[in-house]
Amino acid sequence: MKNWMRLCAVAFLLCTVVGLSAATWTVNASGKVKKLAPVLASAQAGDTVRVLAGTYAEGTLTIDRPLTLIGIGRPVIDGAGGDGNVLTITASDVTVQGFMITGTKVSNMNDNAGIEVEKADNVKLTDNVMEHCFFAFHFANSRNPTVIGNTVNGDPEQSETSRANGIHLWHCSGATIEDNEVQNHRDGIYFEFVTDSHVRRNKSLNNSRYGLHFMFSHRDTYSDNLFQDNGAGVAVMFSKNVDMSRNRFIRNRGASSYGILLKEINDVKIDSNIFIDNTTALLVDGCNRGEIRGNIFQGNGWALRLFANATECHFTANSFTGNTFDMSTNGNPVFNSFSGNYWDRYQGYDLDHNGVGDVPFRPLSLFAMVNERMPYAVVLSRSLLTQLLDQAERLVPSMTPEGLEDDKPLMKSPHVTRNL
Amino acid sequence: MSRVTFENVGKKYGKLWALREFSARFEPGETVSVIGPNGSGKTTMIKCLLGLVRSSTGTITVNGEHVGPDPEYRHHVGHMPQISRFPNELKIGQLIDLMDDIRGSNKGRSEGALVKELGVVDMMDKRLGTLSGGQRQKVSAVHAFRYSPSVLVLDEPTAGLDPLSSQIVLQAVRNIKREGCTVLITSHLMEEVEALADRVAYLQDGTLRFLLPPEDLLAVTGEKRLSKAIPAMLTTKTAAHVESL
Amino acid sequence: MWKVYKYTLIDLARNKFVLGWTLLLLAISLGLFQLEDQPVKAMLSLSQVLLALVPLVASVFTIVYLYDAMEFTELLAVQPLRRSKILGGQMAALGTALVLGALVGTGIPLMLFLPGGASLTLILACVMLTLVFVAIGSLIAIKNREKARGVGLGLVVWFLFVLVYDAVLLWVMFAFSDYPIEPWIVPLAALDPIDLGRIMVLLKVDLAAMMGYSGAVYEKFFGNVRGILVALLALGAWVALPSAFAFRAFRRKDL
Repeated sequence: MKNWMRLCAVAFLLCTVVGLSAATWTVNASGKVKKLAPVLASAQAGDTVRVLAGTYAEGTLTIDRPLTLIGIGRPVIDGAGGDGNVLTITASDVTVQGFMITGTKVSNMNDNAGIEVEKADNVKLTDNVMEHCFFAFHFANSRNPTVIGNTVNGDPEQSETSRANGIHLWHCSGATIEDNEVQNHRDGIYFEFVTDSHVRRNKSLNNSRYGLHFMFSHRDTYSDNLFQDNGAGVAVMFSKNVDMSRNRFIRNRGASSYGILLKEINDVKIDSNIFIDNTTALLVDGCNRGEIRGNIFQGNGWALRLFANATECHFTANSFTGNTFDMSTNGNPVFNSFSGNYWDRYQGYDLDHNGVGDVPFRPLSLFAMVNERMPYAVVLSRSLLTQLLDQAERLVPSMTPEGLEDDKPLMKSPHVTRNL
Repeated sequence: MSRVTFENVGKKYGKLWALREFSARFEPGETVSVIGPNGSGKTTMIKCLLGLVRSSTGTITVNGEHVGPDPEYRHHVGHMPQISRFPNELKIGQLIDLMDDIRGSNKGRSEGALVKELGVVDMMDKRLGTLSGGQRQKVSAVHAFRYSPSVLVLDEPTAGLDPLSSQIVLQAVRNIKREGCTVLITSHLMEEVEALADRVAYLQDGTLRFLLPPEDLLAVTGEKRLSKAIPAMLTTKTAAHVESL
Repeated sequence: MWKVYKYTLIDLARNKFVLGWTLLLLAISLGLFQLEDQPVKAMLSLSQVLLALVPLVASVFTIVYLYDAMEFTELLAVQPLRRSKILGGQMAALGTALVLGALVGTGIPLMLFLPGGASLTLILACVMLTLVFVAIGSLIAIKNREKARGVGLGLVVWFLFVLVYDAVLLWVMFAFSDYPIEPWIVPLAALDPIDLGRIMVLLKVDLAAMMGYSGAVYEKFFGNVRGILVALLALGAWVALPSAFAFRAFRRKDL
């Protein structure tokens, strides 16, 4: 009896707590509660709002308290006629999941976004479809944002000047950006002053400028992402402690397009990435302490452009195959090292059969140097003339900087050969 | 109407006139021997007629048709060159097929003049690259006579042929001449010339020195043999006499 | 024309040199693909060999063959045939035989070991270069009476196109590097058929690098198939022009 009483009390307490702190609202475009805005205004902190399929065009919606919004059957929130944003989140601990969001206003003045998050921590945006937004997600001054599994489609018809970034973070920390697919924006993923964050398994494709662009963003990791067909590839600038692993950088082509552009970076690790068919796979312009290992550089125009202002960048266990130029430089990047890479141009021998060539390899060809001065000389590549020049230089090195060599060139690629 | 006419035909190679102001008429059923030393212009004259060489001056007609870019007149012309080489890997039969094809003839390979007589019929599957000089001459002879030409040009036809084959070819010349064909023949063999020629054309330094029947040559010079009469003709005295004829 | 073509082709079909050329190409192609563990690398090495060898063999063989066929050509010329049909048949047959040799000798191995656009482009470049140098060889053979002189001239022309022209082009780039010569480089390269063939292959295998330069000038040109089409067209002009000169010369030639 006593026990039964106690059980009742606990059950009652539970019910009240749940009932008080977490009511569940349901909005249905073709039901009783048709509008979203009134519900967002009346819901209590911690409530859940279920939104059924349908279109909710109520101008700009604001979430100013911790709510969980769950779209069921992918309801559409259309911000047309609002202040430019579709959804503005100003409270922490908000979750938005399962919507299609569209109807931002293109603007030169305001950073209008599909979902704008301002000074709100722990916001979770998952499984949304962002259709033809100016900015899709725009975070500012927020901690621990989570952006997972969203599909972000910019408008492919828009010109570069009327595009903005897909996933845009400014002054944030502890962000988790995972499994998103971003296309046809200006920059796919943009970080400025973003620290201690992870970017994993995203696909950033066909963006008119950078697939990934970050500046002043320290202690971040980028892994298993795919960056393909972006106008300028990936640019990493003015940052420290950057870790990029197992990403794929594919077909980023153009005069100033890079698999990765490293500019003024300290302590970077670039490990086991794949670079295919980029105009320049890796441009290192001002970089201290780089560990570049185990990457595959295949079929790029320039696999590596190492500027003279780079120091202590160490290249090991990378594979260089089928590149028009394995390397070029603007001077003499002497404070860097190459050791134990595989170069398909290597013509040396391995008498002791230890898998390491017995004579060093010089990755910088004479023709690459000529080309550095006159980019249009590229039309002469693979001609008999340039072959002869390069062979002559290889036999009697006189023009290429001394000491720029791989002292332990591998006889076989450390990577499993596969059809890439 | 004359079968072949040359009017003032000249040919200049560079600065050198290989043939100049050559005028002559050749009649149906007539055999003319064209003789002269090397470089006398007889090859040039023949090549002009055949269309191998474009004359620098003058006109040539065959059966009234102008010798020019239009190749139709050559339907009536047969030619047996002095030296012939053929594509090595073709068979004799295939070459005959090709020629029949070009000429629009549909007689069988083994039909037609000289094919059987010269034994070419038994060599149809031989590759042209494996033939001896004499065998090649036989093939040439077959081509020359095959399409019943009304003008036949023979360049040293018996050189390289065995005596029997020579006789066969010469007999063929007599036969075709009887059918009204005009035959131009170059030869170094005076017996051949004497036996065949209705007229003898002598060229020297690109100029026609005389074009006369053998009988006239003998009569004018008082010689008994053509081989004597021709050198005698070339002395200035007799030449002047001919001019006045 | 097709009569001459047909029988010249029958002759060429059993020509030992054509057969040897096909086998040589086959040996080089198969050898490279066996030697290299990466087919792309083998294809790149092969392209370098082919771009030099195909023009050499096509022009020298054409020259030698036409000289050796001189008496046969005369035999044909006294038939009721237009001169243009004789030369047309012979050139077409030479082109066909050498193209077939290239297709069997390199086309089959390429499509076997590395099927795809790059291989196709290389094959196409080889075919076009064969035709270009058959045309150039024909012109040389017709213009020169002496065989040794003709062959020598063929070698000189080949050397000019395969190496000297590029050296001059590189010199021009250096000498005028202070001037805006960028837009002129590709048209200048197009004046050399071997360069054209090479650029065709570059557009397929080194497009990434080409885009680096072209970004400014030739983006539209290089960015798609159009670049290859334009190169093909220019190579077509390289077939047509020497052919036209060859026909003109042959029509007037004293055999």
